[in-house]
Amino acid sequence: MSWFLLGIRSGIRTERYAANAPAPAGATPGFPHETRFETTDDAAGNQARCPTGAIHAQGDVATVNRDRCIHCMRCASCDGSAAMEWKVDYNWAHGTDGVDTLPAAFHGSLHVRVIDAGDCGACLNEIAHLSDPFYNAHRHGIFITPTPRHADVLLVVGPVTQQMRAELATAYEAMPEPKRVVAIGACAVSGGIFGPSVMCAAGASSVVPVDIFVPGCPPPPLAIVHALLGVCESKPLER
Amino acid sequence: MTGALWAYAAVFAICAVGAVVAFLVPVKRVAASIAWFAGSAALLACAAGAQALLAPESSVSLWNLPTLGPMILGTTHLGALFTCIAALVYFPVSVYTAGYLQRYEEHYSPRSFALWYYAALAAVMAIFIARDLVSFFIAWEIMAIASAALVAYEWRERANARAAYVMLAMSEAGTLAAMIAMLLIFANAHSLRFVDGSGSDLSGATRWAVFLLSFFGFGVKAGLMPFNSWLPRAHPVAPGNVSALLSGVVLNLGVYGILLVNLVLAPVSFVGFGALALIVGAVSALAGILYATISDDLKTMLAYSSVENIGIAIAAIGAGFVFVAVHQPALAAIGLAAGLYHVLNHSAYKGLLFLGASTVHAQTGQRSIDRLGGLIRLLPVTAFCFFIGALSISAIPPFNGFASEWLVLESLLRSAELAPPWLRVVFSLSGATIALTAALAITCFVKAFGMTFLGVSRMRSEHLVREAPRSMLSAMYVLASACALLGFLPTFVLAVINSALSPSLGGSWVQRTLVPAFFGTQSAADHLPPDFVRSFHALGAQLGQGVVPGRGLVVMLRGGHANPVVFAMSSTYLVLTLLLFLGAAYFGVRVLSRARRRRTVPVWAGGLSSLPPVMTYTGTGFSNPVRVIFNAIFRPSREDERKTIHEHFRDAIRRAREDVFLADRVVARPAIIATLAVSRTLARMHHGRLPAYVGYALAALLAALAISLLT
Amino acid sequence: MKPLGSVQDVLAEWPFLAHASLAPDVDLIKPPSDMLHAIATRLRAHGWHLGTIVASETADATDLRYCFYGTAGRGWLHVLLDVDRQTRQTPSLTPVYISADRHEREIEDLFSITFTAHPRLGDFVFHDDKWASGIGLMRPQAPQHIAQTNRPWEPHHVLQEEGAFIMPVGPIFSGHAESALFLLETVGEDVVRAVPRLFYKYRAIEKLAEGRSVHDVLLLVERCNGMSALGNGWGYCNAVESALGIDVPARALALRTLLAELERIRHHAGAIREICESTALTVAANQAAVLEEELLRVTAQLTGHRYLFGTLAVGGLARDFDAEAIAEMLVAVHNILPRFAKMREALEKTGSFLDRIENIGLISPEKAQTFELLGPMARASGVDLDLRTSHPYGRYEDAEFSVPVEYEGDGFARLRVLFREVEQSARILNGVANAPGGALRGEIPQTPGSALGWAEAPRGASLHWTCIAADLSLLRYHFAPPSFRNWHGFHIATEDFAFQDFPIILATLDLSVAENDR
Repeated sequence: MSWFLLGIRSGIRTERYAANAPAPAGATPGFPHETRFETTDDAAGNQARCPTGAIHAQGDVATVNRDRCIHCMRCASCDGSAAMEWKVDYNWAHGTDGVDTLPAAFHGSLHVRVIDAGDCGACLNEIAHLSDPFYNAHRHGIFITPTPRHADVLLVVGPVTQQMRAELATAYEAMPEPKRVVAIGACAVSGGIFGPSVMCAAGASSVVPVDIFVPGCPPPPLAIVHALLGVCESKPLER
Repeated sequence: MTGALWAYAAVFAICAVGAVVAFLVPVKRVAASIAWFAGSAALLACAAGAQALLAPESSVSLWNLPTLGPMILGTTHLGALFTCIAALVYFPVSVYTAGYLQRYEEHYSPRSFALWYYAALAAVMAIFIARDLVSFFIAWEIMAIASAALVAYEWRERANARAAYVMLAMSEAGTLAAMIAMLLIFANAHSLRFVDGSGSDLSGATRWAVFLLSFFGFGVKAGLMPFNSWLPRAHPVAPGNVSALLSGVVLNLGVYGILLVNLVLAPVSFVGFGALALIVGAVSALAGILYATISDDLKTMLAYSSVENIGIAIAAIGAGFVFVAVHQPALAAIGLAAGLYHVLNHSAYKGLLFLGASTVHAQTGQRSIDRLGGLIRLLPVTAFCFFIGALSISAIPPFNGFASEWLVLESLLRSAELAPPWLRVVFSLSGATIALTAALAITCFVKAFGMTFLGVSRMRSEHLVREAPRSMLSAMYVLASACALLGFLPTFVLAVINSALSPSLGGSWVQRTLVPAFFGTQSAADHLPPDFVRSFHALGAQLGQGVVPGRGLVVMLRGGHANPVVFAMSSTYLVLTLLLFLGAAYFGVRVLSRARRRRTVPVWAGGLSSLPPVMTYTGTGFSNPVRVIFNAIFRPSREDERKTIHEHFRDAIRRAREDVFLADRVVARPAIIATLAVSRTLARMHHGRLPAYVGYALAALLAALAISLLT
Repeated sequence: MKPLGSVQDVLAEWPFLAHASLAPDVDLIKPPSDMLHAIATRLRAHGWHLGTIVASETADATDLRYCFYGTAGRGWLHVLLDVDRQTRQTPSLTPVYISADRHEREIEDLFSITFTAHPRLGDFVFHDDKWASGIGLMRPQAPQHIAQTNRPWEPHHVLQEEGAFIMPVGPIFSGHAESALFLLETVGEDVVRAVPRLFYKYRAIEKLAEGRSVHDVLLLVERCNGMSALGNGWGYCNAVESALGIDVPARALALRTLLAELERIRHHAGAIREICESTALTVAANQAAVLEEELLRVTAQLTGHRYLFGTLAVGGLARDFDAEAIAEMLVAVHNILPRFAKMREALEKTGSFLDRIENIGLISPEKAQTFELLGPMARASGVDLDLRTSHPYGRYEDAEFSVPVEYEGDGFARLRVLFREVEQSARILNGVANAPGGALRGEIPQTPGSALGWAEAPRGASLHWTCIAADLSLLRYHFAPPSFRNWHGFHIATEDFAFQDFPIILATLDLSVAENDR
């Protein structure tokens, strides 16, 4: 009874989820954005500062390859040269060309199996937060299932370690058609800072065909919800 | 002599010829000769039984014995029913023997097997037509010795010889008790002939003595608690076909004996008899199924399950006894018919299951469920037959176990008609116990079938396993069809049981109570109000008449003539509906799935690339919840030894658990300990000093004197 | 005056040993390998703890560095052992220090060094069904690509009972659990023993670190376990900073302390959420999730990142925060903290919850001491050990707080420790709220050096060994995270339990697979 009252007293904490609505403060770290600098040195400085080669300087413009960004925040703190512009949004997911979304029947009933293929725990924690009162993915009809046999979507986190390669492939095999794979986080998208290396592959797409990529280290729950809604095109994704 | 008796005589003759032939043909052909001769003897016996059921009871006097009177053989309807049941098991088992016995040929003589086999067959048939004390017990003893000899067929194995010895010893003790019970009746009637109702005028104490001695005496053979220690010992070690006979035929003899004394010779007169039978039956059922569920050995499991099934039958018969004692023939008919129906069904499916288990044992060399698994791919026919048996024994409709267990539970629900409150309590508690038993039976056989035939093979020599020869498979087919037919067409079976019980109940009460008018037989219509019958016909109860062969199961009446309430359950209609639905579902799926691509992927094992057998559920693991829940009954002795390296790393955990059968633990072991203690005390008196012996003699003399003076 | 059982007391028995002082309170001895047992026995008798074992191999030397630490101001003792490069055999420390077991198994797989008299070796980092033995991934001449093989594998099982079998849980199981395989030995219903099979997520962070600059390795360390990025990162920074002799400014130390405690509170909120989730107490789990999410947002508002990635820098902090932002953060945290107390109160009144976490997953104080467990897990079993007090760093020396200790060692005790640590972290936050002004980062000299660094991460002591070349790239990096040691606690806690308690035991142990696997 006391829990019931405690729950009632907490009130409604769920965020409204609307396309391109501004994110609540602190819900997402944002992403560095294409920036025009005063000098070419500033642009080159940011390129040099980036440990994963996500920033590319062309003259006085620095562009960002989000798939490689690991949120090291080095280009956000002004230290020596000018910082990149950051855009605090969460619509980060983008699809692979030529991949259809799932039929409308899946809208409102999307079952998801999460595969940890070498994740550090941050992406998994953000996935765990999908079902907390703030994000409440259940109201979008997104459910996490314990077996790939019931899953429509495979969420892959981590760079895919050598010891998880076969397991990931087995899980993908075990899913019924139609199925989609979503790579969550910089590691699963591109290998991040771990792959490709002796024990890590270059992300999920080196083992299974990935349909949707969600960059970020880690992508916040809102970005994951955005990607999952994009799987059956409730929210259009960038192609 | 009637035709039926001639047929019986022919059975004996075939047995005798068969025994001689077994010694004439080459050793390799003996098994086949058993199949031919014993098989045809069984068929003939079945015909004899059927003939005897239809004809009025008759008898023939063979010869006069000095002081003991004439030896009489004669047909009775009850004996005829049991003959049919025995023949139903004997025929397939004899066929099965042709293929099965070959595995023993190198070590044991098939000729000696044939000798004892024919002896047992002839003796069993003789028991059912014996109409006087002397011939009954002669046949009984031959049967007891022959079946013990068959159990001890592999006499070089210590366990077999020991089990046969225990079996014979307990059987003799039971026979002695039963004989005293019969003698008490005949002392009253001054004749050793079996005359219906000859003991009905016995006084209270004598009647109780007759009941207790006969119930527990024959109960030993029937495998009732608490005197059934022999049963879980003998069944597993006996050759497979003999196990099937023990369960399918020999246990029934005990039930026959109980019915013979307490229904035919001296109809029960106290409700206490029935109540006691009910309690013993319910306790046997529960104890049997509990130990069956936790048994790892396929045949031991089936042996305990026999205890359970005979317990259920005896519980129903006990209910019948209660209603006989309170002169409610209609209700008595339900109980007794349910009991007999269950005995019949048990013979069919237990015979089938034992043959299935023996086939598994013969083809794999393994009886431990924990070490088997995945056999459905290697032994598909055996798996199918075992599955039918498992469905039947678990009382899954529409198979035969369902029909009789439903009747048993219904008969136990009739306690409302009984006056004494304690009796109602006994009925409801027994009913609950049997309902629990039925639920546990499903657990038990899901385990037995699932862990043996499904899943991953846990055997190392999987590639050597082949399906059994045709003779063994056809025997299982026969019994599987019997299981199906006995369940699909219960009204025909009830007609047969009706004629077996009519003489004792004084009319065809079974037919009248269980198969009322609107499901067929006109003869039953006369005791129901015509309006009532008509309204049922209007409801469509006559639907399918002339199309559906058997008119459903088993319908029971509650309330009186004026106010009848009907509970109906037609397993015949159920079969048709099931077939319709399953067929429709199958074709539906076929039509719908034609459009879709079919993909075969390996089983999902949490991402593991392979699932080694050690990572799959074992039978023991499956049944462990039952062990945990009923720990108070099992009271196992446990060992738990844990070894470590450097005092911390777990190196080995050795745990052992020993479950001693309830009857052994509560009755047999204390009795043995007490006997040994008394013997030791007595032995202490035998120290060899002469004066002491003189003293004993003097003391005995004085005691005798004192008693004679006092009385 | 040296405390009792100090390095000098221990070494008085062997005056002939080569002895060097690496830093204040850090001593090094180089005994011959056959003396290891004698020295270790002596150290154990005096209550020294085994920190970690660092193996390193260069072109001309293979050695093992056993790092021991003593409480009560006794500092560190490194025992350096040369390994025979022909036989690649060395005596096992496990008979003396049980906690060396997992370190030695790891070294066996990574360096192909055999530990004689070790109870069990193999199928640890490299699974037997996928890899041939003797890869020696961390050795200089290790191949860059290692082919997998598919070989039959049957798990080792110790339970001998009629009908015993192994129930596999994993490697992919539950809703969003980390990948690990648990082999539950059972005869059905009651599990007799459970064995974890880890390293499915082995990313070879130590291997990746070799040759990278000290700044880039920090990125790897933070992403080893995202849930305690700052805790582990600080330990790494401590190692680099003492190896290079960097003087970290006071402001950076104060802010690091502040952020570390903020992370601890947020981490514990997550751990409490998982415990509530495992007992299916959904309302409480959601309440805890709200607390955790609010703390994540507070963290992001202050530092820009929800998990504190990119906040630390070698020599100090990557960015500065103005006093206003810190004050806002503290106000927000102090609004959140009373709800922890309320939640604890409500949980302790919920009988159905207590029934499920009391007396499960027992770790007795004796076992916790023998296996030298760390962090909240050990503190729930009566082990009063916390590097923040025993070997203070940052601003902990003058912070006012106490180390909460419980003695029952069951799931409930572990939950209480989490709640009490949150309270203590709040006290530390108040103490360091007014960070002194000044520089944010110290000068980084271009000198080679090597040192061991430590920090008390949310899950326990996090130890880092760095060996740095003159160009500030790492020659050898070794990371002994708390979860690596604490997985010992798993098999202690999972002997004789009911199968349905398994997820609850796992949640109360609060073990990270990612941190263990690295």
